[in-house]
Amino acid sequence: MDPKSTELTQVFERFKAAFVRKDFDTCTKLLSQLKVLLTGFRSLPPLFEQTPNAIHELTLARDIYEHAVVLSVKIEDQEAFERDFFQLKPYYTDARGRLPPSSQEHPILGLNLLRLLVQNRIAEFHTELELLPPSALENPCIKHAVELEQSFMEGAYNRVLSARQTVPHDTYVYFMDLLAKTVRDEIAGCSEKAYDSLSLNDARQMLLYSSDQEVLDYINEEHPEWEIKNGFVFFQRAKDSTPCKEIPSLQLINQTLSYARELERIV
Amino acid sequence: MATAATMVSSAGGLLAMLNESHPALKLHALSNLNTFVPYFWPEISTSVPTIEKLYEDEEYGQRQLAALLVSKVFYYLGELNDSLSYALGAGPLFDVSEDSDYINTLLAKALDEYASLKTKAAEMNESAVVDPRLEAIVERMLDKCIADGKHQQAIGMAIECRRLDKLEEAVAKSDNIHATINYCIDVCHSFVNRREYRREVLHLLVKIYQQLPSPDYLSISQRLMFLDEPEGVAIILEKLLRSENVDDALLAFQIAFDLLENEHQAFLLKVRGLLTPSAQPSEPVPSGSTQPDSAQGGDAVTSEDVQMADGTQAGNIATSPDPSEATYAEKLTKIKGILSGETSIKLTLQFLYSHNKSDLLILKTIKQSVEMRNSVCHSATIYSNAIMHAGTTVDTFLRENLDWLSRATNWAKFSATAGLGVIHRGHLQQGRSLMAPYLPQGGAGGGGSPYSEGGALYALGLIHANHGEGIKQFLRESLRNTNVEVIQHGACLGLGLAALGTADDEIFDEIKSVVYTDSAVAGEAAGISMGLLMVGTASEKAAEMLAYAHDTQHEKIIRGLALGIALTVYGREEEADTLIEQMTQDQDPILRYGGMYALALAYSGTANNKAIRQLLHFAVSDVSDDVRRTAVLALGFVLYSDPEQTPRIVSLLSESYNPHVRYGAAMAVGISCAGTGLSEAISLLEPLTSDVVDFVRQGALIAMAMVMIQTSEASDSRVGAFRKQLEKIILDKHEDTMSKMGAILASGILDAGGRNVTIKLLSKTKHDKMTAVVGLAVFSQFWYWYPLIYFISLAFSPTALIGLNYDLKVPKFEFLSNAKPSLFEYPKPTTVPTTASAVKLPTAVLSTSVRAKARASKKEAEKAAEQSSAPKGKAIDKDGDSMQVDSTAEKKVEAEPSFEILTNPARVVPDQAKFIKFLEESRYVPVKSAPSGFVLLKDLRPNEPQELSLIDSPSSNAAGSGSVTGQQGSSALAMAVDEEPAPPQPFEYTP
Repeated sequence: MDPKSTELTQVFERFKAAFVRKDFDTCTKLLSQLKVLLTGFRSLPPLFEQTPNAIHELTLARDIYEHAVVLSVKIEDQEAFERDFFQLKPYYTDARGRLPPSSQEHPILGLNLLRLLVQNRIAEFHTELELLPPSALENPCIKHAVELEQSFMEGAYNRVLSARQTVPHDTYVYFMDLLAKTVRDEIAGCSEKAYDSLSLNDARQMLLYSSDQEVLDYINEEHPEWEIKNGFVFFQRAKDSTPCKEIPSLQLINQTLSYARELERIV
Repeated sequence: MATAATMVSSAGGLLAMLNESHPALKLHALSNLNTFVPYFWPEISTSVPTIEKLYEDEEYGQRQLAALLVSKVFYYLGELNDSLSYALGAGPLFDVSEDSDYINTLLAKALDEYASLKTKAAEMNESAVVDPRLEAIVERMLDKCIADGKHQQAIGMAIECRRLDKLEEAVAKSDNIHATINYCIDVCHSFVNRREYRREVLHLLVKIYQQLPSPDYLSISQRLMFLDEPEGVAIILEKLLRSENVDDALLAFQIAFDLLENEHQAFLLKVRGLLTPSAQPSEPVPSGSTQPDSAQGGDAVTSEDVQMADGTQAGNIATSPDPSEATYAEKLTKIKGILSGETSIKLTLQFLYSHNKSDLLILKTIKQSVEMRNSVCHSATIYSNAIMHAGTTVDTFLRENLDWLSRATNWAKFSATAGLGVIHRGHLQQGRSLMAPYLPQGGAGGGGSPYSEGGALYALGLIHANHGEGIKQFLRESLRNTNVEVIQHGACLGLGLAALGTADDEIFDEIKSVVYTDSAVAGEAAGISMGLLMVGTASEKAAEMLAYAHDTQHEKIIRGLALGIALTVYGREEEADTLIEQMTQDQDPILRYGGMYALALAYSGTANNKAIRQLLHFAVSDVSDDVRRTAVLALGFVLYSDPEQTPRIVSLLSESYNPHVRYGAAMAVGISCAGTGLSEAISLLEPLTSDVVDFVRQGALIAMAMVMIQTSEASDSRVGAFRKQLEKIILDKHEDTMSKMGAILASGILDAGGRNVTIKLLSKTKHDKMTAVVGLAVFSQFWYWYPLIYFISLAFSPTALIGLNYDLKVPKFEFLSNAKPSLFEYPKPTTVPTTASAVKLPTAVLSTSVRAKARASKKEAEKAAEQSSAPKGKAIDKDGDSMQVDSTAEKKVEAEPSFEILTNPARVVPDQAKFIKFLEESRYVPVKSAPSGFVLLKDLRPNEPQELSLIDSPSSNAAGSGSVTGQQGSSALAMAVDEEPAPPQPFEYTP
C-alpha cells in the first residue's frame, strides 16, 4: 500500500473516531483534509484511471463521502450535504459496475430525496427518482420519501407531519423537522392567496399548530407583513394587486403593418 | 466497460467541489472541469455564475483558470463575445498556438473584434480604446504569422486591423517583396472599403517601394496615380529619362503608357505640366494640342520625325551643345506625346484601321430589312454602323448609302452627323477638317441645318473625348456664338466630352449659363456636360446644380442635372454619402433616379456592401419605375470589379414581375460583365432576350452584345446562336420596333470597332477606367435620349498588343499565342447565299492569322526588304503569294495547330492574354511582360536595321502618298481574298 493510501486510511480512522465521539468540529477539519488527499488519487472520479488499488481506493473514497454526507446532516448544513452528495454520486452511478453496493446507498439517496422535498425542489426530486432503478423504489428509505412527496402533493399535510414518527433512519429526523416548516410555508402561501383574513384560531388549525403562541411566533418570524388585529390575521396588505399585463397592441400593429409592406414588395 | 470506467456521467461532483472552501479542492475541480468541458458544458453552464465569482475574486490565485473555463463554456453556448472577454481574462492560459476549434474560433473572433474596433475608431476620427489584452493577442498572432512565413495571412490581418506598422514589417520580412506588395495591392483594392484608409495603405506601400534597392517604378507610378500625386510620378519619370541607359527610357515610356491606360486626364495633364526640362525655360514643342493642326494631315510618321528633330534642335540651341541634355529633351518630347495620349491614340487608330474586320454585309442586311418609314430603326442602323466602325475611320457604308442616309431628318440628322465622330474617334489631327463641312460657319446664320451643326460639335467631342486640349477652345466659341438650342445641345455634349474631368471653371461657367437659359433641350445636355467636366471632383458645384434642378420645371433639365451631379461624385465613395442621401430622399423621382447614378458612380467597382444594400432596397421599394430600373442597373456599376457576382445578385430581380426591374437586371449584367463572355451572365440574359415586354428584350439584347463582345463562337457556342437570333429579329416583319432597335444596336456592339475592341471598365492594373465608366453611365441614358448611345464608344478599348521600340515605332516582332487559333479568331464573315458562295469558299477555311500574315508578307515582298533580321519563326511567310496561303490553310483543316504566331501589332482578346508568350530568341524583349496593350520593346540588336510594320496611317482628304500605296497594296489583297472594306476616300454627304 502506498504511503498516500496509508495516510488517507489513518486520517479516515481519526475522522471515524471523532465521528463516534460526536466531535463534529474535528470531523469537519479532518474531512477537509481527507478531501484534499482524495484529489491526489487518479483512480477516483472524474478520471477513473485503472490503477492496481482502484477498487480499494474507490471503496474508501465512497466511504469517506458517505460519512461526509451523514456528518453534514448531523451538523445540519444543507449546502454541505448537497456538495458532498454530488461528490458521492459518481461512486453510486458511474462506479456501480466495479464496486460492491454500499449498505448506506439507499438511506443516503432517500435522504437526498427528502432534502429536495424540504427545499421544495420537486422537479429535481422527480429527476432523481427517475434515475433510480425500479428495485430501489421498494427500499423503505426511498419509499418513505416517495410517500411523503405524494402526501405533500395531495395536500395531505397532516400525513406529512405525522410521518415524522415513522422515519426509517435516525438521520431523517432533521429533514422531517425542516419538512414540517416547508409544509407550513406552503399552507401559509395558499392561505394568503385564498383568504383576506382568518381568525387566529382557524389559522392555528390551518397551520397545524397546537398553540396560538406558536402561530404568532411563526407569523412574526416568517410573515411580518401579515397584520394581526382583534384575533384575526389579515393578509390584505401582503396582496399587492399585480397589474394585469398590458397587451403590446401598438407594437403588434406596427409589426403587422411592416409584414404587409414586406409582402407588397415581392420582387 | 473500459469506456464506462473512464467516463463520468455527470460533472455534478466537480461542480459541487467548486463550492468547497479549501482552495486545493477548487483548483482540482477547475482543472478537471477544464478538461471535461467539451462533454459537460451544458451542466457547467448552469454553474457559470459560481465560476465567474471565482474569477472576480481578486484574492483567488486561480482566476485565470476560472476565466478560461467560463470562456470555454460561453464558446460552446455560442456567446462568442462573452467568451472572448473571458478568454482575455485568462491571460497566458489562453494559448494562441493551440490547434483546437475553440482557440481558432476565438482567435478569429478576436481579430474581427479588434478590426471592427479599429475601424470604428478610425471612422469616428478618434483614437481607438482597445483592450490592451486584445491588442496583445492580435499582436501575438501577427508576430507568429510573420515568424512562420505566412506573410499573406499577416498582411491580410494587418490591413484589416489597421496595423500599418505590422503590415510594413510583414512586407519587409517576406522573401519576395515584389510579389508580396502586389498581393498587398490586390487585397487593398478588393477588401479595403474606405477610400481614406486605402490611400494610407498605398502611401505606405509607396514608401516601402522606394526603400527597395531595385524599385519597381511601374507599380510605384500606378500607386502614385491612385493617390493623385503627380509630383512623385514626374520625379520618377525625370530620373528615368535623365539616365544614360536606354532601357530606363523605355521603362519611362512604358510607365507613361500604363498611366495613360487609366484615362485620368487631369492627372496626366499635371504630370505633363511638371515635366518641364530644367535647362530649357520654354518647351519648343507645345504639348500636343496644337500639333494636330500644324501637322496638316501629312503622314503621321513623318510628322513625328519632324517633331523629334525639332525637339533635338531646340535642345541644342537653347543650351550648350550638351548631348545628354539634347537626348533628354528628345525623350521628354516623346514622353509628353505619350502622356497627352497622342501617341497611343495614333497607334490605336492605325491598328483599328489596319485590322478592321467589320462585316458590311450585316449592315446591308439590316438596312434592307428595316422599313423605310420607321425612323427609329433607321437611326438605329446609323448608330449601329457608327459603333461597328468606332475608331476605324472607315465610313464606307455611309458613303455608299448617301440617298438612304439623307432620309435622316431633325434629330436623326443630328445623330447621323455625330456618328461620324464615333467612327473617327481619336482622329485628333484631322477631326476638325473632317467635320468641317457640317460645322457652324461663323455665327448663327450659317447655311447648314442646326441639327447637323449640333451633331458635328458633338462629333468633335467624341473624336477628342478625354483629349480635348486642342478642340476645347473651338467648342467654347461655338457654344458662345449660338443661341439655337440644338447647336447648344451638341456643343455642350462636345465640350463636356473634350474637357472630361478637367474641372475647368471657365468652361463650367459658360455651360452653366446655358442651363440658366432654361431651355429644355440645351439644358439637358448642359447638365450632363457639367457633370462630365467635374467628373470625380466632388466639388461644391453639385449643390448649385441640385438647387437649380429644384427650381426648373423642365424634366429634361432635371434629368440632365441629376446625372451631372451623379458624375461629380464619381469614385468618391463615402465622401459622396451626404449628397447621395440628399438625392435619394428627394421628393422628385428624377432626382432620386440621379441618386441611383450617384450611388453607382461613387461606389463604382468597389462592390461595397453598403451601396449594394441601398440599391437593392431602392430596387424593390421605390414607387417610381424609373428609379427602380436605375437602381438595379446601378448594381452593374458597383459590381464590375467582380463580374462573377452580378448574375448571382440580380438573378432574382431578373425574374421580377416588373419589366423595368427586369430591364435593369439585364443592363446591370451587361455593364458589369461587359466583354467577359461570362457563361452565367449569358445564361441569365438568354431568357430575357425573349421576354414578353419589348423594352426588356431590347435591354437584354444590348446587354448580351456587351457581354459577348469579342467572344468567339469557338469559346462559347451561344455566340453563334445569338448572332442568328439578332438576324432573325431584324428580319422579322412583326417584331416590335423597340426590340428591333435593340437587335440592331446589339449587332453594332457585338462587332464594335471593326471587331477589334472590347468594353473594359478596369485597366490591367485593376484601376477603374474613368472614361469608360462615365461613358457607360451616360450611355445607359439612351432610354431617354438616343444620341447618348454614342457614349458607349468611350468604353471601347482596343484588344491589341502593340509593341513599340525606342522611337515609339512599331517594329516587326513576333510572339506566340499558345492556344488554338480558332478559339480567338474573328467571327467568319456572313455570306450571301445566292451570289458569293463560290468565291467565298476559300475564306471559310482561312484563319485570321493566316490572312494577317499574308498581308504582312505581301507588304514585305513589295518593299523587298532584306530578310536578314527574320528569326526562325518566319519560315512560313517567307514567300508571299496566295498559293502559299491556301496550302497552309489546307493543312489547318487536317489538324489545327495548338498555337499560332502573331505579328506585332496583333489582336489579342482578353481571354487570349493568358496564352501569350514572348519568343525567347526574338530580337525584341518586352520591358514588362504584359500580354496586351502597349508594350515597350528592348532591342537586343540595335545595330541592325529595323523593320517597321503598321505604317499605313488612315488618311483622308490630304493623304500622304507613301502611305496610300501601302494601303492599296493591302486592301487590294484583302479584296481578292474577302470583301474587306476599301480605305476611305474623301467624300461629303449632304443630308
